[in-house]
Amino acid sequence: MSVNEKFSAIRKGLLEFLLLQIIAADKVYVADILKQLSATEFATQEGTLYPLLSKMRREGLLDYEWKESEAGPPRKYYELTEKGREQLRETLEYWGKINGTVKKLGQK
Amino acid sequence: MNKVITINLGGTAYQLEEGGYDALRAYLETATARLQGNPDRDEIISDIERAIAEKFRALLGSYKTVVVTKEVAAVLAELGPIEADEGKAAEADAKGAGAPSGASGPKTEGEERAAWSSGPRRRLYRIHEGAMLSGVCNGIAAYVNLDPTIVRLGFVLLTMVWGTGVLLYLVMAVVVPEAHSPEEKAAAFGAPSTAQEFIRRAKQGYYEAMKGFPDRKARREWKRQFKREMRGWGTSFEREMRANADQWRRNWHGYWAEHAPVHPGVGFALPFLSLLHGALKILFICALVVLLTTGTVFGLALPANVPVWVAALLLFIAYGILVGPLKAARHACYWGGGRPGWAWPFVFLLDAVVWLAVVAALLWLALHYFPELREAVRTVPSLAHQAAADIRAWCKGK
Repeated sequence: MSVNEKFSAIRKGLLEFLLLQIIAADKVYVADILKQLSATEFATQEGTLYPLLSKMRREGLLDYEWKESEAGPPRKYYELTEKGREQLRETLEYWGKINGTVKKLGQK
Repeated sequence: MNKVITINLGGTAYQLEEGGYDALRAYLETATARLQGNPDRDEIISDIERAIAEKFRALLGSYKTVVVTKEVAAVLAELGPIEADEGKAAEADAKGAGAPSGASGPKTEGEERAAWSSGPRRRLYRIHEGAMLSGVCNGIAAYVNLDPTIVRLGFVLLTMVWGTGVLLYLVMAVVVPEAHSPEEKAAAFGAPSTAQEFIRRAKQGYYEAMKGFPDRKARREWKRQFKREMRGWGTSFEREMRANADQWRRNWHGYWAEHAPVHPGVGFALPFLSLLHGALKILFICALVVLLTTGTVFGLALPANVPVWVAALLLFIAYGILVGPLKAARHACYWGGGRPGWAWPFVFLLDAVVWLAVVAALLWLALHYFPELREAVRTVPSLAHQAAADIRAWCKGK
């Protein structure tokens, strides 16, 4: 099992966190998110993204508004709710802690 | 020249080649099926449709008005398969596992038959969720529709028969593939096995015949007779088989007792006969497991009209034929007679020592080459505790 495979579960779990971060920065629609992720280890497809976004919206972390586009049907632009921002703050804090632990453990 | 089909995606009409239309419809149907039970299903599907529409729009221009099949395929590949979150998938799996026993009641005949013909074919897989060691017992339980605890107890009991249970388990842990994808998990629980379908049909025939008796008393009489006949047939068949086997064994032993070469050195052949026997046993178990998992025997696919259980039976018979003379030869080595009495303890000792050495060597090799096994051995103590607690809980539950 390569390192890449081993981390696939972790990557999957982190995706939600990354979405919070991307959407917090700017109002975006799905193609923007995919473009931002595509250059990273977290490259994703719509098939994964839409179910995840719907779940997050159901949990009240984000919301969307419709915008007309010149290239086809109207698009959903996502933005974070107050609850989403709160979750992002908590996650960032927790991530910092985990990061510290990973660096610290095993050093004497 | 290709036929074109017009579809409506997110309020705009698009023209697709027929092949592309089929691919798109199959994709959306799979997506809908995978999102079964997801509260956002409709929304996700319409999101996906809109995404597809946008991609099609980018492909078309004033001189190009039709999306060709290849382009549809490319767009669908770009979208990737619909993946609902893990928790949902596991939940659906668990539901699927419960369904064969729980939901079969209210289902009508037609529905059941449809499920039988369209459902995935059941395959033997190791199932990791809820497993104690490597999921072998769990997989078998799903395959034969039993409580995993019963299967585990079965293995424990089999272990008392010259350690067969442990041997079988180790072989299966290595040979049986693990169910990773949702499709494989579905196949692990899958459509009813051939044997079950056979019993269902037999029962149906039985009840059909029952309907033919107008009078209740006659019906009861017929029923009683039917049962008695079945039972009688079963016992006589069993008795006959046993008598035959006994006869064969006696013939072999008699033959070897008379014709075994009376030579003091023959005792040294005993450990090697034992080893050959053991190797054949392992080979047989491997072949049987591979047959159940992939439907092939030593890489050869079965002819289409031969069901798996017939192949398993033939395999078992072939094994019996191969092993019979070996068993008899070992027997002759033990009881052949004609050797000085003082030599026997040494022959038995040699047999035992060679066996132990080979088992130790195999174990060492296995531990050396399969890190999973090493990991499993390390977790044995805690697992044993858990198993004991589980069995206790299960006994209480009954």
